[in-house]
Amino acid sequence: MKKTMFLALILSAVFFCAATVLAAELPNKIVIGNPEALSGSQAKAGEQAVGGIKATIKWVNTVHGGVKVGGKKIPLDYKFYDCESKREAVTSLLERLITVDKVNFIMAPYSSSLTLAGAPVAEKYGILYMDHGGASDKIFTQGFRYIVQTIGPGTRYHTGTLDMLKKKDPAAKRLALAYKDDEFARSVMEGTEAHAKKLGYEIVFKRTYPPTVNDLTPLLSDMKASRPDIVLGGGHLADGQLLTQQMADLGIQTKALSILAAVTLPAFQNALKGKADGVMGPSHWEYGVTFSKEKALKAKQTWVGPSQDEFVKLFKEAIGMDLRPEYHAAEAAAAVLSLVLAVEKANSLDSDKVRAAMGDLKFTSFYGGWAIDKTGMQVGHDMIDAQWQNGKLVIVWPEAAATSALQYPKPAFK
Amino acid sequence: MILEQLAGNLFQGVVLGTVYGMATMGLSLIFGVLKVVNVGHGAFIMVGAFTSFAVFEYLGLSPVFAIPVAFGIGMALGMIFYYSSIRRLLKGPELASLLATFSFGVILEEGVKFLFTSDFRGFNWDLGKIDMGFTVLPYAKVAACLGSVIIAVLLYLWFNKTRAGMAMRSVVEDGVGARVCGVNVDWEYALSFSLGIGLTVASGVLLTMFVSVGINPYMGGEYTLKAFVVAVLGGLASPYGAFFGGLVFGLLENGSYTLFAQIPGLEPFAMTRFFSFLILLLILLLRPTGLLKAK
Amino acid sequence: MKGASRYLPSIPVLLAYAALFVFGLLNPGRWQLVAQLAFYCALGQAFNLFMGMTGYVDFGYVAFLGIGTYGMAISISELADKGLGLGVIVIGLILSVVFAVLLSLAVGAVALRLRGAYFAIATIGVNEGFRYLIEGARIWNGSEGIIFSRQLREMVGREAAMSLSTFWADVMVFGVAVIATVLTIVYMRGKIGYALAALRMDEDAAKVMGINVTRFKIIAFITSAALAGLLGATAWALKLTYVFPADVFGIHYTVEAIIIVLLGGAGTLLGPIVGGLIYGVSKYYLAVYLPGFQLLVFAPVIIVVIVLFPEGTVGMIKRKLIGTALEKYIL
Repeated sequence: MKKTMFLALILSAVFFCAATVLAAELPNKIVIGNPEALSGSQAKAGEQAVGGIKATIKWVNTVHGGVKVGGKKIPLDYKFYDCESKREAVTSLLERLITVDKVNFIMAPYSSSLTLAGAPVAEKYGILYMDHGGASDKIFTQGFRYIVQTIGPGTRYHTGTLDMLKKKDPAAKRLALAYKDDEFARSVMEGTEAHAKKLGYEIVFKRTYPPTVNDLTPLLSDMKASRPDIVLGGGHLADGQLLTQQMADLGIQTKALSILAAVTLPAFQNALKGKADGVMGPSHWEYGVTFSKEKALKAKQTWVGPSQDEFVKLFKEAIGMDLRPEYHAAEAAAAVLSLVLAVEKANSLDSDKVRAAMGDLKFTSFYGGWAIDKTGMQVGHDMIDAQWQNGKLVIVWPEAAATSALQYPKPAFK
Repeated sequence: MILEQLAGNLFQGVVLGTVYGMATMGLSLIFGVLKVVNVGHGAFIMVGAFTSFAVFEYLGLSPVFAIPVAFGIGMALGMIFYYSSIRRLLKGPELASLLATFSFGVILEEGVKFLFTSDFRGFNWDLGKIDMGFTVLPYAKVAACLGSVIIAVLLYLWFNKTRAGMAMRSVVEDGVGARVCGVNVDWEYALSFSLGIGLTVASGVLLTMFVSVGINPYMGGEYTLKAFVVAVLGGLASPYGAFFGGLVFGLLENGSYTLFAQIPGLEPFAMTRFFSFLILLLILLLRPTGLLKAK
Repeated sequence: MKGASRYLPSIPVLLAYAALFVFGLLNPGRWQLVAQLAFYCALGQAFNLFMGMTGYVDFGYVAFLGIGTYGMAISISELADKGLGLGVIVIGLILSVVFAVLLSLAVGAVALRLRGAYFAIATIGVNEGFRYLIEGARIWNGSEGIIFSRQLREMVGREAAMSLSTFWADVMVFGVAVIATVLTIVYMRGKIGYALAALRMDEDAAKVMGINVTRFKIIAFITSAALAGLLGATAWALKLTYVFPADVFGIHYTVEAIIIVLLGGAGTLLGPIVGGLIYGVSKYYLAVYLPGFQLLVFAPVIIVVIVLFPEGTVGMIKRKLIGTALEKYIL
């Protein structure tokens, strides 16, 4: 009798402790911290990311009803600082988010360099570090445990484009590569070159140009002389506009032209107007992609998040401007969604458990597929290829997501 | 083949060079008169580019009309910055004025970002183009080149034929003497500073006529560095020297590309940058008064 | 001033570093902030050693940090699997100093013949030219840079690599700051200091007086560059474990060094740490409370400070303290 009483006492004590521990583990909100780049060289992408994250959090808290952990629905909260696109600021602001603001998870700042800068601190505190804008493959060969990528690896940006062109016109073999000379664009160039060789393309021109460039004429004259059928290149925003403009200036007419990053932003067409027609670009996401809940459910995929139009509306509300979200925003949004799903799956806020749950997480959202490999590198997201046709950006590849047929060969510059 | 390309590049280099020259005259004028290096130079060019963009996009006018607007904005900015701070720093250490002009640049960059966001903008000013066989030249570039030459000539006439211009030149040559002769040196300083800024902002418009895309708040840094090289080629203190420095720089930059492209394993474009800075060092060592003037 | 008393001004500076260090140890959750402040102070201290004493503005100073970063990066990425353990770090530190000294000799040979704005522009030229040489000729992987996080981890183990990056690298930065402080006062109170003071007043007159200005100028230049190399090797290489040329030759670091020195007071011993703390702390809190607008707030403040307090904080304090007992502690 006494023994059972004692046992009951202990058991109830254990239950009580467990309950309090669980309650203590569950705060009244889950905070995502983000030392984002809001001024300096990466400000453009950083602004988009902040808008995307705010929009998604709003969706999670209102439509989704919060994140379900331990039987409770807990709302998300967001805390961001501006690291000025500077590496020194990333480490100290990141630590502040962890130790002072006690955030639960971190969104890395945009770009490979800034993402890498914060990685040692995130590893030290063992906090999940969501990479939404660091595309370098090399981040994932370093043995970091807490970095999880949502943006796809650089080497794959232009491989889909080549597959598409190969299918469309196997006779067009002369390929010219003109990429920006930075870590990201170079990794794209490497991946493209390897894939092109596999497909039997003849690389007639391969050059890079410095990141800050205001006149590409010498390089383009050189390229013109190599008479390419297809030109692939670019790197970021300003140089992509410049490349197109000056190819038009020099009258370099090719069957296809595909440029990284710049092309799929509305600013590209605003700046170049008619000259943009026929120019293509790979992208992680574009307004108009046809991922939807119905399609995903039909294909027996897990769907989460707002629909595309809901997201656009939430984004505009979040930043208070009539600005269209770009892929930088969508990437950040998908990273938040992956976090929500993984937390619910792990039923915990512990970074190690959530990271483990992410390992075999697979889902589809308005951004497309999401899955990572062992190292945390994104492998589930396929890139799309978009093309400007008569002033409108349409999706031409992959065929399943296409909203329009590819215009080929590319019309002459207007 | 290579010769044809070289000819094309050199030709393009001349056209680009006049615009570079124009974009550096303001820097040289300010250094020549006040001995202040405008480290925020590129940001003023950026303001000009946005002026051009705004005039074209919101008013629907040709960028040519943006030149006087930009010049006016530049003069006003110059006056504000001169009387608010530069004036008090002239006697101080070099460091102070370097840092002040750098800060102006940051204020302009962040201010423009606040107004226009950090989006990359551009406009499409298409006048057609002329195919010359070895290269193709759009008329917009011709306009940029002509505009630069005209402004350079106007500046020359102003300096040499008008009373105000000659007064300013007298300050450059002998500040104390000018004061004795009744020249208001402080006012001449203010005027030349704002004239220099005015020219720089106006050159931003010409640059957008040359390349009308990629306009964003942080576009200026590259132009600051190039302007330094160009200014040194021209002797740093002389606006006309700067103009010819621009021509030489355009030729060097475009011409050396063809040469570096022949060497395997190099990235010719980055090497042209290396080459231009190498030339900068050589000139500073061997002929610090610039290419034109004898020592 | 004679004997040990001439070194008294180093006491408040070293005490300030000690205080910052202890504050960091007591607040492990703020250590990265302390590390960032230490970096700014060390940057100012090392930059001031040449700039403050000679009045020459080396706008390309960041090149020495950049090449120092490469010194460490190359050592770790090349020697990680040679079983040398922490010895690689020592080799990296030595290599970074050697690189920085070699570069400073090359720069000095060209630029130190020039004065004023010509010197400033020549040094910018060296920095930019060097960066484009690395990218254009694909030296050390060109623009792809070196990421050596994995090698560091394989070399010393996961835990040790982590504490190297997030703690010991910062301790080394403190070390660089202290070395810079000690060297500065030794120079200032030595023959070289008086020679350079004469140079700062009137270089031609100093030459006529028979002072070998060039020699002293070069000594100060090389010392300052070597310290920058160490700073790059610790604060940028060991701490961040990657190097991209576009980052480590960014001219805004030179500007930051200038701002720090000017806020504190150029040519003073105490100036860089005061300037570094003011700069670092204000930037940090602006980033926290006004994300996105801090530069718009900061730039006008800089202008106001230069216009109203051209001598910097310490310069002003020094003037106020003349004739008091504290005078001999402030330099």
